[in-house]
Amino acid sequence: MEVLSNDHILTEVKAETWQQAVAAAGQILVDQGSITSEYIENMIEAVRELGPYMVLMPHFALAHAAPCEAVLRNDMSLIILDEPVDFGSPNDPVKVILCLACTDKESHMNALTKVAEALMDDSVFDALMGASTAEEAYEALNSFQESLQTVQDC
Amino acid sequence: MDELLIQAVCGFGCGSSLLLRMKIDKVLKEEGITARTFCGDVGTAAATPCDVIFCSEEIAERLMSRAKVPVITVVNFNNPAEVKEKVMGYIQSLEKAD
Repeated sequence: MEVLSNDHILTEVKAETWQQAVAAAGQILVDQGSITSEYIENMIEAVRELGPYMVLMPHFALAHAAPCEAVLRNDMSLIILDEPVDFGSPNDPVKVILCLACTDKESHMNALTKVAEALMDDSVFDALMGASTAEEAYEALNSFQESLQTVQDC
Repeated sequence: MDELLIQAVCGFGCGSSLLLRMKIDKVLKEEGITARTFCGDVGTAAATPCDVIFCSEEIAERLMSRAKVPVITVVNFNNPAEVKEKVMGYIQSLEKAD
């Protein structure tokens, strides 16, 4: 099963601020009909209120807000920025953003675990940092899943 | 000793705390330590029964004054050495106390 489909990934995204970057990641999910634009506001507000804790590791932020009515279905999107932006975190600057929308606290866990396992693999993350097309990013994420599958099959 | 209860906490208990929990689980498995891990959100974490809380520094600032258990911060969730050092540091502090 694929980790993230092609149409949920954008590369060489231009953003001058972290707010623009979060909005760009969220817009994919608006276009896919998974969230309303209110959720984008919620994500930005969450960073303002709680601080840049979503920058979980160097160059990477997990943008999300609480499950709410603005989330129409569980979904995730991934963007790779043309130029990185600062969130005010020790893990700045951020180049890769995963946007997570969930309808409740549990039902998305398996899907998120899969993406997280791929993202936290150094070789996958390096490939993502260098990806210039959605196809390249897609390949990087999903090749990892295939290798996991192979290991499990053995 | 009863089974150790480890709470990984983020803003909403559904995103970054899961990633942190995955990394903690990995360390526990490698070290052969049995413990139960679960995710929590910053609003309810301090009132949720557990033995220790792991979270980012920003979340810790909000929990420190309310939490009744140790709050341990992780800067880079994907640095195995950091997560291991912090988890094992906590485990060793328990062994000393015994």
